[in-house]
Amino acid sequence: MVSRKRVLVHVGTPKTGTSHLQDVLFRNRAVLADHGICYPAERFDSHFLAALDLMKLNWGGLELEAVGAWDALAEQVRAWPGTSIVSHEILATASRMQVDRALSTLTGDGPTDAGDVEVHVVLSVRDLVRQIPAEWQENVKHRSAISYARFLETITDPERDSRIGTWFWGVQEIPDIVNRWAATLPPERVHLVTVPAPGAPRDELWHRFSQAFGLDGIDLDLTPERANPSLGVPETALLRRVNRKFAPRVDPADYRPLVRELLAHQTLSRRRRSDRLTLPPALHTWAQEVSGTWIEEIRTRGYDVVGDLDDLLGPPPPETWSDPDAPAEAEVAGAAVDAIGALLIEAARLREVEGRLTHELAETRAALDRSYLRPTYRLREKAVHALEHSGVGRGLLALYRRARGRSSRSA
Amino acid sequence: MTARAWGWVRHLRAGGTTPWAQWPEGPEGDAEPAGRVIPGAQQLELLRRLNQVGAPGPELATRVLEASAPGRGRPDLELVGAAHDSRFGARPVDPGDLSEDELVRVATLLLAEDLVALGPVPRRPDAVPRPWRRRYRLVGDPLLSDPVRRELIARGHGPRPGGVIVVLGTDLPTMLADFWTARCFAFGQGSLGLGAQGLGAHGVPSWPEWLESWRARQGVPTRIDLPGVARTWVQRRGSRQHVHVLTDPGQRPDVRELLGVRRLPAPVRPSAEAAELARRLSMALGLMVTPARRELLLTEGLMPRLPSTELSALSGPAGSSSATGSAAPPVVPDEHRDWVRQRGERMSRRLVRAGYAELPIGPGLEDGSSEADPSGGSGGSGDVLSLAMRMLLGDWKGPLEGKPVKW
Repeated sequence: MVSRKRVLVHVGTPKTGTSHLQDVLFRNRAVLADHGICYPAERFDSHFLAALDLMKLNWGGLELEAVGAWDALAEQVRAWPGTSIVSHEILATASRMQVDRALSTLTGDGPTDAGDVEVHVVLSVRDLVRQIPAEWQENVKHRSAISYARFLETITDPERDSRIGTWFWGVQEIPDIVNRWAATLPPERVHLVTVPAPGAPRDELWHRFSQAFGLDGIDLDLTPERANPSLGVPETALLRRVNRKFAPRVDPADYRPLVRELLAHQTLSRRRRSDRLTLPPALHTWAQEVSGTWIEEIRTRGYDVVGDLDDLLGPPPPETWSDPDAPAEAEVAGAAVDAIGALLIEAARLREVEGRLTHELAETRAALDRSYLRPTYRLREKAVHALEHSGVGRGLLALYRRARGRSSRSA
Repeated sequence: MTARAWGWVRHLRAGGTTPWAQWPEGPEGDAEPAGRVIPGAQQLELLRRLNQVGAPGPELATRVLEASAPGRGRPDLELVGAAHDSRFGARPVDPGDLSEDELVRVATLLLAEDLVALGPVPRRPDAVPRPWRRRYRLVGDPLLSDPVRRELIARGHGPRPGGVIVVLGTDLPTMLADFWTARCFAFGQGSLGLGAQGLGAHGVPSWPEWLESWRARQGVPTRIDLPGVARTWVQRRGSRQHVHVLTDPGQRPDVRELLGVRRLPAPVRPSAEAAELARRLSMALGLMVTPARRELLLTEGLMPRLPSTELSALSGPAGSSSATGSAAPPVVPDEHRDWVRQRGERMSRRLVRAGYAELPIGPGLEDGSSEADPSGGSGGSGDVLSLAMRMLLGDWKGPLEGKPVKW
């Protein structure tokens, strides 16, 4: 039997273990290729760049590296005779027109079933109860100073026409994402991978991904190397205060390494004993009602569900809720001390770099000044160098210097 | 209901201008699908508006309908009454209710594609540097100094170290507007040397947002901090006598004498709408070309091709420009007037203490005056859309051979 060429397009959603999945796929490209599976990526974020290119999105300067990335990715997919995987969570927001272009270029013609190409759409999904606080935290890690209360107000506004509301529902509303990506696909080619409820075995999510992507039985290196670590309540509150006061004064190019990477990911995310961000109890019922309508819709449509659809209802409200807009100040102070320490160490490192560069700059400037001197100077300099290479020349130079009345040898 | 939507698409492709709300229901307005996906409401409405002001032609119509709005914002929206599944996703809209800002987003992608295809306006090669040229440096307000320097380099009279330092400036509101305009066109990578001015590679903020960021910083961009610029050059040159700060447009003869040239180019100041369009275009261009190419396209591709009505001859403060068109540069909005005036006065005092002439207050900042318009003088969406549509319809694609690059 000749197996059909397949393209698996994983289009989200964010905060569903996608970084780990993409890391495993990227590091195991060679092993996957041996099993007839192509994950076409020259660098870890290749598919992210391709998605930025497809959707014409700016992303803090990264889009500069994305020019032509989608077409390059699609070309590799078209050239692969077996199964190809494309994965990035921001694809969830693609418009119908962009989806049409994406699927047409991946298959080489029709959007869903061109010739022998079989398109599958995979969507990993998590309950709104956990997604909402996670998405607010992502906003804070991307310079936003919006309070948690305001964020919640924005996303619960039925108009959904704000920038935050548009993005949030664009990447979270499961039936809408499937409407855009898989309106013409048969339901068995739409695969929903649910993120297990809290308390499930650590590798349960990977098992579900593995099943959805057909990776069972392949010996993959699953060592976790990349993740998008979460912050606790006081740490997120601290970051928001920093954003409120300083984000307008810090270049995005500086913000990314100093605040998001150094402070958030490398420093504050290590404080694991603080309260975790959760949904306010008052919104639990609303979130579960919204999820309930989605679950019903998914069941009606008959998609392939890997995991349990009831996972989408989310955990029950916590017994005590910690409000990030009114955090325990002592804990925020503790986080601030850690942050100051990290910045001090970084500042010391940068001072060392600055000292070295200052020295190099002084040397360069001196050389530049010399090069700007009169042309006759350079002519004389050349003459001196030439004369110093022969005995006769050195004698003539000595004679000249005695005649000028000085004894310095340097020109 | 999708048959009605396809009917409207066909109508618009044929040059129609009937709004969606008035498009007939039933067989009269229906048509067979002409593609796999109904274009978004933003794209359809932009095509309708283009049909209202010109004849876009089938090629441009197709490009408009297939375009995606770049950057984050509202997704391509479905037409109210013709949505695939209105229970989920963004609410379908009547395209007539869309803001002009949404339409500008779509238009900028197309203009960016045009600009990439057109490339920079060819200009004659730079002349060989004259060995006898005067030693000078020309710094200060980017709209006043950069075009002059560029032209002098082309004539073989480029700057070189060791001579006079000429610092060109004007009143602070105008310099702020000039600096923001320069950022919109050049994106601050390379030649303007503006990368460290808090704007980075993320795109230039809108005029009001940009002013707000400088209010928060309690300073002004280094390049237009004239006392600071003068002090830096005095330290580097070792003497005050080599540094000349010229803030009066009547001092052009002095500039010519200091630079050792008989004539100076007359730079131009783009309108607020043109600057705002350039700002948006730079973001769209960032998705297509390298930063260096983007800067080149904006300065030597877009700038010289702007309709003449969007440019005014520049000889000094914005308010005193001898306009060749109706171009009005960005105006400091009311809420920023106080800090701009205070900072301008402080700058003027520092200049006087350092032995230079005082700085003019600037248009609209005199006590009791108010020039601010509701859009903050930054190019309202309606004006920007109008300019974008004129350009989409080909207002800027005429032959330019021989036309000098003004920047």
